Amino acid sequence: MPPAAPPGPGPVRRDRVRPTVPATTSGTAASAGPQPQRRPRWAAPWDGIDGLRAVLWLVCGAVILLPLSAIVVLAITNNHLPLLLSGDVVEAARNSVVSAATSAVGAVLVGTILALLLDRSDLRGRRTLRLLALTPLLVPPFVGAIAWIGIAGPTGPVNRAWTEWFGGPLWIIYGGDGVVFLLIVHSYPIAYIIMSAALRRVPSDLEQAARISGASLLRSVTGITLPLLRPAAFSAFTLIAVSNLADFGIPSIIGLPERFVTLSTLVYRYIQSGTVESPLEVVATIGVVLLGVAVLSMVIDLLVNRTRVELDQSSAPPQPIRLGRARAATSIVAWTLVLAITLLPLLALTSQALLPAPGVPLAWENLTLDNIVRATTAPGTIVGATNSVMLSVLAGLICTVLGLAVGTIVTRTRARSNAALATVALLPQAIPGLVIAVGWLIIAPRIGLFNTPWLILCAYVMAFVAVVVQAVAAPLRSTPMSMEEAARISGASRLRALIDISWRMAVPAAVAGGVLVALTAVRELTISVLLLSPGSQTLGVSIFSLQQAGAYNAAAALSLLVTLVGLAGLGLVDRRRH
Amino acid sequence: MPRTTPRLPPMRNSLSTLSTRNTRNALAGLALVGLALTGCSAATDTTDDASATTEAATITLYTSEPQAKIDAVVAAFNVIEPGVTVDVFRAGTGDLTARIEAELTSGDVQADVLLAADAGTFEGYKADDLLRAYTPADVDALNPDVVDPDGFYTGTRIIPTVIAYNTTMIDTPPTSWQELTDSAYADLITMPNPDVSGAAAYNAAVWLNTPDLGDDWLSALAANNPVIAESNGPVSQAVATGTQPIGIVVDYLVRELKAAGSPIDVSYPAEGVPYVSQPVGIFASTSEQDASEAFVDFLVSAQGQELAVEQSYLPVRNDVGTPEGAPAMDDIAILSPDLQVISDSRADAVARFTELFS
Repeated sequence: MPPAAPPGPGPVRRDRVRPTVPATTSGTAASAGPQPQRRPRWAAPWDGIDGLRAVLWLVCGAVILLPLSAIVVLAITNNHLPLLLSGDVVEAARNSVVSAATSAVGAVLVGTILALLLDRSDLRGRRTLRLLALTPLLVPPFVGAIAWIGIAGPTGPVNRAWTEWFGGPLWIIYGGDGVVFLLIVHSYPIAYIIMSAALRRVPSDLEQAARISGASLLRSVTGITLPLLRPAAFSAFTLIAVSNLADFGIPSIIGLPERFVTLSTLVYRYIQSGTVESPLEVVATIGVVLLGVAVLSMVIDLLVNRTRVELDQSSAPPQPIRLGRARAATSIVAWTLVLAITLLPLLALTSQALLPAPGVPLAWENLTLDNIVRATTAPGTIVGATNSVMLSVLAGLICTVLGLAVGTIVTRTRARSNAALATVALLPQAIPGLVIAVGWLIIAPRIGLFNTPWLILCAYVMAFVAVVVQAVAAPLRSTPMSMEEAARISGASRLRALIDISWRMAVPAAVAGGVLVALTAVRELTISVLLLSPGSQTLGVSIFSLQQAGAYNAAAALSLLVTLVGLAGLGLVDRRRH
Repeated sequence: MPRTTPRLPPMRNSLSTLSTRNTRNALAGLALVGLALTGCSAATDTTDDASATTEAATITLYTSEPQAKIDAVVAAFNVIEPGVTVDVFRAGTGDLTARIEAELTSGDVQADVLLAADAGTFEGYKADDLLRAYTPADVDALNPDVVDPDGFYTGTRIIPTVIAYNTTMIDTPPTSWQELTDSAYADLITMPNPDVSGAAAYNAAVWLNTPDLGDDWLSALAANNPVIAESNGPVSQAVATGTQPIGIVVDYLVRELKAAGSPIDVSYPAEGVPYVSQPVGIFASTSEQDASEAFVDFLVSAQGQELAVEQSYLPVRNDVGTPEGAPAMDDIAILSPDLQVISDSRADAVARFTELFS
């Protein structure tokens, strides 16, 4: 028997619809929802919060708006609108939006189901499965895409076997559906991390209350848990949709063979094929279009997500969802699917890493460690690994702090500029790495960062800070302001309440986001490749260079090592959490 | 116009491995001042003593050569010219183009030497007055096709696009471009995408301008439904693994895979092969002319070309042989079309290709 529910307020929804769960508190219900700190009328015109907000705008201005404006200026110096209205660009824009939106829906669905199963249920072996499920995060998308072609390409083993048995291929990965599938595979871990953080905030008291009142397990999940996860789901959706807009590796390798062109592959077409005058301006123009799409999606996010759900701290330990008779079956299905999605490409990668050259039959006597030796001893690799680790850790730290500050200030205080600040932080997610890099290259000589690693660091922070902002904002949106109010009543300043209460509550989410940033940055390719100083390397660039040089097996070996080291790191983080 | 000399960033000492560029830029600025004071007397005494060591200098090279190969080239160059430090920035041709364009937006190109891609790219820079005229010391020994008549760039390797095939799946390889249109090869072919690969765009233009092939051939090839891969790398990989047993791809990748043990081999089509020459050129904004010229000389010297052959490339001179497994240079039919025609028709060729293969 769980302890009695605390006397505090239950979930309170702040919308025009009748609340599904009646509010238990007094008259505050009508205006409830996390009531962000409002400046009292009698307060001085400027206080610490305003100062903090000004600092954040300054930092975001320097790290995000400055390079963005370089891109915008480049785009509007000459009129490239006629090109934008050409069939190619319109079709690519449609493909981009459709693939980004559908893959984000898919990723959020998969991430939510995984969060429920791995964090809340009594599924067998869920800790190991959780680690496995996170592996796609560690494999660079362009490596994952090539591994998947080896599995589900037109003459891959799956389709060859299927053709033998049934006379036709099962599913050829090339084309729009393959792009959506792989985008889901590479982005569901982000959704899982955000949803899992949000799930930890859903009070189990409510689920238990529902069960006690006679609701079935399914009904308590669909009626209580899922609705309470909605704000986090929207945050995850926006983040993933916007960042999938900018993905290049997957659409270029999987989409182009079937002529599935997206805006980010179009960017490379214009730069590489030399078929347009002043390609950089054209590319900047496409970047601006993507920015427009990102702003639009943020506006939609704000409009749809106006409904706030407020959750109390739960006093009861979360009760696992008992799968009962379905436990064995669910475990088998979950394990099979996760293994298929994660282990197949890892196996493809491993076999590539251990074979001397592509096409050599997989047999014991052919296996070699040469690639691993070659990959790890190449002079560039050591430099690349050192640089990548340093840059990604720094980027993770800076993004954690900046994202924490931005994420709390836009959810825990009230100001007209909050929506603008949140949008600015998210914008860079939508534009391809190449465009971000071009923006920084243009301003680099003027700010004295040309050919320094700090340029890459700045670009990483710009590109990834949104991950932390969204990770922080999602759980905070559903946390009541009562603690901050208590602090204020006890005499704390608005800034003090923000730092002592809001920040502390959001630290776990911010750290999770920061880890995510570091893991993404450590294998980043498209930004680093343009911004590196001569003689330098990063891991992503090392892998890509090996691949371009035809040393696929050494490239596979290096990706495998990055994945394994990342997994070990994740395992350690996970272990300390338990 | 003086070169931009960015300020020293704070804290860069802790990361000295990553960049030495800023101090060098400052030095380059000083050198430029010195050069301006002494007039251009330095430029006259370069050609007479090829073996003498150039004064200590640091040059920046932008290149699309694979990292390991360019490292070997620089090491061999440093045996002859120990005083010249070569800082290498390696990236794909498209990324190089983007970086150069971005640098031009805010000042001068930050490289001294460019070694990349095809003549078309260099023709563009030549037209924009970004290149400095320089004819390498040993120019008479070179294949005249790869030397710019105006003297702004020189080819350093012959990189032809050929037919690759998987030896376990294909018994009698196709020996001509025409043969690839045979319906026996339907669904078996893969080739790089001219939308993404500059070399592939060049090839498309050459095929369309070759009377024996032209639009009819390209249409017939499209009817065989080839898989359009991203670039040469994935093509050679698909052929080696048998995903697509026939590929249209640059020859040196195939030779290297074969040497590593892949079941892959190359066939030089009878009609002739389109090729890119990985030209080298010196940027007009350089302040290290002597060192840059010494590097260009080395690339096309007998020694530099022997190294190229060792690295599986076909050379631009006739006195250094060819890589193991490649025919002699005289036995390879090469398509050398008028470059002006090719650059003019390139955009149309890519558009036609896209239309046919969608």
